[in-house]
Amino acid sequence: MYQYNADDTAFLVERVDQFEKQLKRYLAGDLDALKFRSLRLRNGLYMELHAHMLRVAIPYGILNTEQLRALADVADKYDRGFGHFTTRQNIQYNWIELPEIANLLRDLSAVGLHAIQTSGKAMRNITADPFSGLTEDEVEDARPYCELVRRWFNIHPEFSWLPSKFKMAINGAKLDETALQIHDLGLKIVKNDAGELGFASYVGGGLGAAPMVGPEIHPFVPVEDILSYLESVLRIYNLKGRRDNLKRLRIKFLVREHGAAEFAKMVDEDWQHGKDDPELKLNMEELAKLKQDFALPVKPLDLGDFKDTLDINYSIWKTNNVRAHKIAGYSVVNISLTQLGTAPGDATSGQMRMIADLADKYSNSELRTTKRQNLVFPYVRKDQVHALWQDLDKSDLASPHHGTLAHVVACPGADYCDLAKAVSIPIAQQVQQRFDDMDKLYDIGPININISGCENSCGHHHIADIGLLGLKKNEQEFYQITLAGETLQETIIGRKLGRSIAGAEVVDAIEDIVNIYLENREEGENFVDAFKRIGIAPFKEKVYG
Amino acid sequence: MVEDSEIISVVNEQGKVIELLSVNEWVANVDSGVKSGKGVVVTPADDVGLLQESLHKIPLIALDFVSFDDGRGYSQATLIRKRWSYSGEIRGINAHLDQLQFMLRSGVNTYDLQEQYQGSNEHDYTHGFSICYQVAANNADMKEKF
Ligand code: HEM
Ligand code: SF4
Repeated sequence: MYQYNADDTAFLVERVDQFEKQLKRYLAGDLDALKFRSLRLRNGLYMELHAHMLRVAIPYGILNTEQLRALADVADKYDRGFGHFTTRQNIQYNWIELPEIANLLRDLSAVGLHAIQTSGKAMRNITADPFSGLTEDEVEDARPYCELVRRWFNIHPEFSWLPSKFKMAINGAKLDETALQIHDLGLKIVKNDAGELGFASYVGGGLGAAPMVGPEIHPFVPVEDILSYLESVLRIYNLKGRRDNLKRLRIKFLVREHGAAEFAKMVDEDWQHGKDDPELKLNMEELAKLKQDFALPVKPLDLGDFKDTLDINYSIWKTNNVRAHKIAGYSVVNISLTQLGTAPGDATSGQMRMIADLADKYSNSELRTTKRQNLVFPYVRKDQVHALWQDLDKSDLASPHHGTLAHVVACPGADYCDLAKAVSIPIAQQVQQRFDDMDKLYDIGPININISGCENSCGHHHIADIGLLGLKKNEQEFYQITLAGETLQETIIGRKLGRSIAGAEVVDAIEDIVNIYLENREEGENFVDAFKRIGIAPFKEKVYG
Repeated sequence: MVEDSEIISVVNEQGKVIELLSVNEWVANVDSGVKSGKGVVVTPADDVGLLQESLHKIPLIALDFVSFDDGRGYSQATLIRKRWSYSGEIRGINAHLDQLQFMLRSGVNTYDLQEQYQGSNEHDYTHGFSICYQVAANNADMKEKF
């Protein structure tokens, strides 16, 4: 598994040392609040309603068990014993004391973890498919490329004070688990006719109040030219992005203002100057080294005529929690952190340690996090899946809800976030209470429900089968419902159902929507396909009729 | 709209007072500007491309970092120093302590701070990082890792 070397760790410590000095100056009144805000955000620190939130990066969603234990220790030592796994390969702590931050970050740097650029107006942590390297028909494992790009934009002197945040994803698989077209910049790894690798680039996607699917800006950037290309995109954004209108800061507004073709031309003109600069070529030796570091640690396994245990509960859990692995003899196993009655993505320090022990025992001491706020064991031997299930079951972690509608994705909402217009987590819990029959849930199948407590869209409601957006009207909480958003095959923003619905009635509306789907679906048809066939009218009629 | 900088002159490295013209003033009066030894002050909204043709005749370029979060000056400095190989003095005016290393790496070589702070050591912010992960106009004293 890839790990930071001595230089990388020294860099993390330098970063913490500097931030600690800035924090001390702020507390002593020797750094004004506005500048400190900009500085603390780029170190992952939010100052929230009740306390301070720290967002720690989990690059590409990969964790080793030593890191997971360190995250558990941080939860105990500096927080209230739990952490919140987010949809974007981060973990957040909600109850951090300011003077403790530097010590916390130092503890994390010892295991190669950090909070650098997890927030603020700079290049954020880059997301990759959590199943990178494990999927059969992948074009290429995206992670070595992500890592080279991440390093390049780590405290980049030219691009650290952008008009707004800048989020990137790189996908190397056929299906798009990263939702790259809702990122400021998404790269898809592709092969050209000559069989050479490169990137198709999509710029200007994003959710929020003005959701936009990022258009293709370049069909093929050769691998070795990717850094100069990205520099050109960022330079155009840095120099020409809106800074005057707070609602127009993201790059999507620049792309929209000029149109995709004109924007592509602007980037291309700048790129002509950097393309052939030998200093800006990707370091192919380093890439080869990273490919080795990220290579899968397991070899194909001959399990003879192994037959898995037959057990009804085990089989139910297996349906939605175990995926095929590229390497013979192995499975990918999902561990659902969404327990009924708890906040989605929350894990206690005890659970983290327990999961770390299990990953040592069953998964080569490695795990991954996903955008549905789960943990994944990437290397479980097929003949050990049953034993793992039994261990998970003992600890209440074999929830069979993953992949069903009861597995709701929700942002922190009004319970933790001072930007919220409405609660998220309690609605998720009400949905789980309403749909508590396992047979029914399996009959309904894999419908995604995502909830955001305000237009910032942290819960990714636009790209869910059923999306809920919290609003406030006359001091009352309402929810705008959107239907049939998707990203896997193509990227589509969910369609608005109609006027927003009061909090007390929103779970009824969800039930209505599910029922329309059940009444109308054809054999094996998923929600998005049924929606495409029957349109929005029957849903509208049932909910508002 | 481009707003003019409030700063109209600086004292250069050699201790000489250099009066500053705006980008538009300079471009309209290159010859007289050169003759009278005037420099140019660049605000964040200025298009530095306008200076390219007469760049090497300018004795000093002052980049105004007037607002902490407005990072256009870093791209302007990179273009002037790295892409167009300007070898004269680039002065960061209204510079910010916490951004000094970013600014110096982008090609600024002298600076005037907007605000002084009592309890802090400038060196911590000009040399806070000893390791860097990317090419820049000036990576002096840093271990390059790319
Ligand atoms: C309580 C703490 C949080 C605060 C204050 C917060 C704040 C924000 C703000 C202000 C934005 C919009 C920025 C913009 O569009 O310019 C945003 C976007 C976003 N947040 Fe959060 N957030 C919080 C928690 C979370 C959590 C827990 C997650 C993941 C579960 C998350 C994921 C995201 C994502 C994915 C976006 C981008 C949406 C897009 O593409 O436009 N945030 N957040
Ligand atoms: S969507 Fe809004 S309420 Fe939810 S976490 Fe983001 S900013 Fe807070």
